[in-house]
Amino acid sequence: MESFFHAHAAQHYLVLAAILFALGAAGVVLRRNAIIVLMSVELMLNAVNLTFLAFSRFPLTQNAPMPGGIQQGHGAVFFVIAVAAAEAAVGLAIVIAAFRSRQSVNVDEFDTLKF
Amino acid sequence: MEVTWLHLIPLLPLLGAAICGLAGRWLPKAWLYAVALTAVLLSFAVGVLAFTQIVPLPPETSKLHELVWPWFSAGALHVDLALTLDRLSGTLVLVITGVGFLIHVYSVGYIDEDPGYWRYFAYLNLFVAAMLLLVLGDNLVAMFVGWEGVGLCSYLLIGFWFDDDAKAYAGRKAFIVNRIGDFGFLIGIFVLYANTGAVSFDAVNASTLTLAAASTAAALLFVGACGKSAQLPLYIWLPDAMAGPTPVSALIHAATMVTAGVYMVARLSPLYIQAPGVLAVVAIVGALTAFWGAIIGMAQTDIKKVLAYSTVSQLGFMFIGVGVGAFFAGTMHLLTHAFFKACLFLGSGAVIHGLHGEQDLRKMGGLRKAMPHTRWTFLIATLAITGVLPLSGFFSKDEILGQALHTHAFDFLTLTPNGGAHLSFLGPVIYVLGTLTAAITSFYMWRCYLLAFEGEYRGPSEVHPHESPLSMTGPLWVLACLSVVALFLGLPPGIAHALHLEGLSWEHFTEAVFAHPRGGLGEFSPWAGYAIALIVAWLGALVARHFYGHGRAVEGDARFAAALPRLHRALENKLYVDEFYDAIIGRPLWAGAKGLWRVVDATLIDGLFVNGTAQLVALFGAASRRFQNGDVQRYAAVTAVGVLALLYVFLVRG
Repeated sequence: MESFFHAHAAQHYLVLAAILFALGAAGVVLRRNAIIVLMSVELMLNAVNLTFLAFSRFPLTQNAPMPGGIQQGHGAVFFVIAVAAAEAAVGLAIVIAAFRSRQSVNVDEFDTLKF
Repeated sequence: MEVTWLHLIPLLPLLGAAICGLAGRWLPKAWLYAVALTAVLLSFAVGVLAFTQIVPLPPETSKLHELVWPWFSAGALHVDLALTLDRLSGTLVLVITGVGFLIHVYSVGYIDEDPGYWRYFAYLNLFVAAMLLLVLGDNLVAMFVGWEGVGLCSYLLIGFWFDDDAKAYAGRKAFIVNRIGDFGFLIGIFVLYANTGAVSFDAVNASTLTLAAASTAAALLFVGACGKSAQLPLYIWLPDAMAGPTPVSALIHAATMVTAGVYMVARLSPLYIQAPGVLAVVAIVGALTAFWGAIIGMAQTDIKKVLAYSTVSQLGFMFIGVGVGAFFAGTMHLLTHAFFKACLFLGSGAVIHGLHGEQDLRKMGGLRKAMPHTRWTFLIATLAITGVLPLSGFFSKDEILGQALHTHAFDFLTLTPNGGAHLSFLGPVIYVLGTLTAAITSFYMWRCYLLAFEGEYRGPSEVHPHESPLSMTGPLWVLACLSVVALFLGLPPGIAHALHLEGLSWEHFTEAVFAHPRGGLGEFSPWAGYAIALIVAWLGALVARHFYGHGRAVEGDARFAAALPRLHRALENKLYVDEFYDAIIGRPLWAGAKGLWRVVDATLIDGLFVNGTAQLVALFGAASRRFQNGDVQRYAAVTAVGVLALLYVFLVRG
């Protein structure tokens, strides 16, 4: 514990990202409302973004591992945000389509994906 | 002498069979008959040509040989498809094609109305081809091909009317019983090859074997002869083989195929004389079969069954002949029997034909008026088979019995290795049994003749017996004449010399073909034997006349049954041999097969292996189906747990 509070590198950000990721994963697995599930996915994505940025700010090596340099992490984050926006749009469209056919957004009722 | 045309003899009937079998259905009837008959006739002509070539040659070199092609070789084993025509096989070729041709002619009248006539002639031609190969083959393997070929044709022709279950069954029975014999024959060939390194008759007959090797090979080959030639204990198929068309019974099951075993033993005479113990077995089996067949023949009511048991019995006589080392006597009886038994069978066929399929002797009678030709030829053949002087059967049968009485083949045999219990009494014992059998033969043949042709007609009044067409009576007369003329084969030396006919003597003619048993053939004067044989033949005839003559016919059987009720019932039921075999072999096999089917096949293979595998897979499927419930969240949860587990393994423990 002592070393944790005195660490000044990426550790705090990483722990926060892990907590956010776990919360998101729990939401995806446990919640029944499809919209909440989508929101939880967003939470997981943002946890990943935070990890990217943390490592971009506190790189583990002196030499950049990628051609784009240390700032490459920021680029990845922009990608994730863009894709997440698209995913949210498609996801919400699916939820609406599903709601039209089942009159519900409860994911327990979408269980036809089986033998 | 090496020639290049010997293969024509079996090839011509084979071509005939191919044409009849492949195109016969569409050929006009007359053409088909022409093809089938011409094939056999041409084969006969080539046979006669070959025969005239070898007769002038000195006995030692009196043979034609043709290497058709080297068939196969594997390691040290070389088998050629090669043919040899010597004085024995040459004579048999003449009998097979000659009698075969007569029976083909007869068949034209007999089978004409049957829709399967083209199939019939194809089989018949194929049979002649296979039989010729059997006789001409110069090695055991070629002979075996013919041996199996005649067995196949026999099966096909016994079951010719295969839509009748009983007849199809008879065909299968013949095939299966023969299979047992063929198995022995095949193993015998292997044993011979293992000990001599050759399969050709010349090489096998020229080699000297140890007593054990010679005995093993000879005994195994004799098992094959027992199957093919219907000897105890494998004779049971022959009486049932009468289910086939009657000309087939005459050709295959009387004149030719069933004598193949005798021919084979005679062909291998140098091998058999090296195994005197096996020779004794051959003679004993022959004598017992002769007696056994004759007594069953006494009480049969089916005319063809009487003749069938008579054939079994006569084949027994042939084996007595070869068994006592008098190979010429056995083969001479083979020839004379081919004539008179073919004549008898064709005569019975004419009777059956004239009575619209009636085979029961009790419903015949008085046919001498309606069928004079059939009657006279049947009478001549009956005289021949019962051994009445001077017909052919008399000389050939008496030669066998005389040789049995005076044989020296068993003089060296003892029951124990150190020389105790001499077996030289075996010959006289066989002679007595054979003479008794001759009396019984005379009885049952006269019974058959009297029931069928004498007395009054006893059949249904709507059936009018009629004589057969010329195509059937013609062959009957030719065969009847042959069964008289064949007497010249076996004239006693004194008479033959007086008539300047020594050249025809079969013993003299085949001198160089057969080996002589250790101790030589018996030297004896035939006259006492002739007297006994003649008395015995007439004795049997008189007893038959006492029971069945004077128009008594059917009451004869009743009186016979009243005199010896249990014996008569046992004989009528063929001494329960079929039932016995059924009990000791048939049923256990059936039960065993049923057990194997139920336990091994149904339970173990079908149940455990086949269905068991499927059920195991289904069980796994049912279990794993529970994981795939369509709930995406659970999939995600399981994935997350999996990822966590991997992370634990690689990051924490690794």
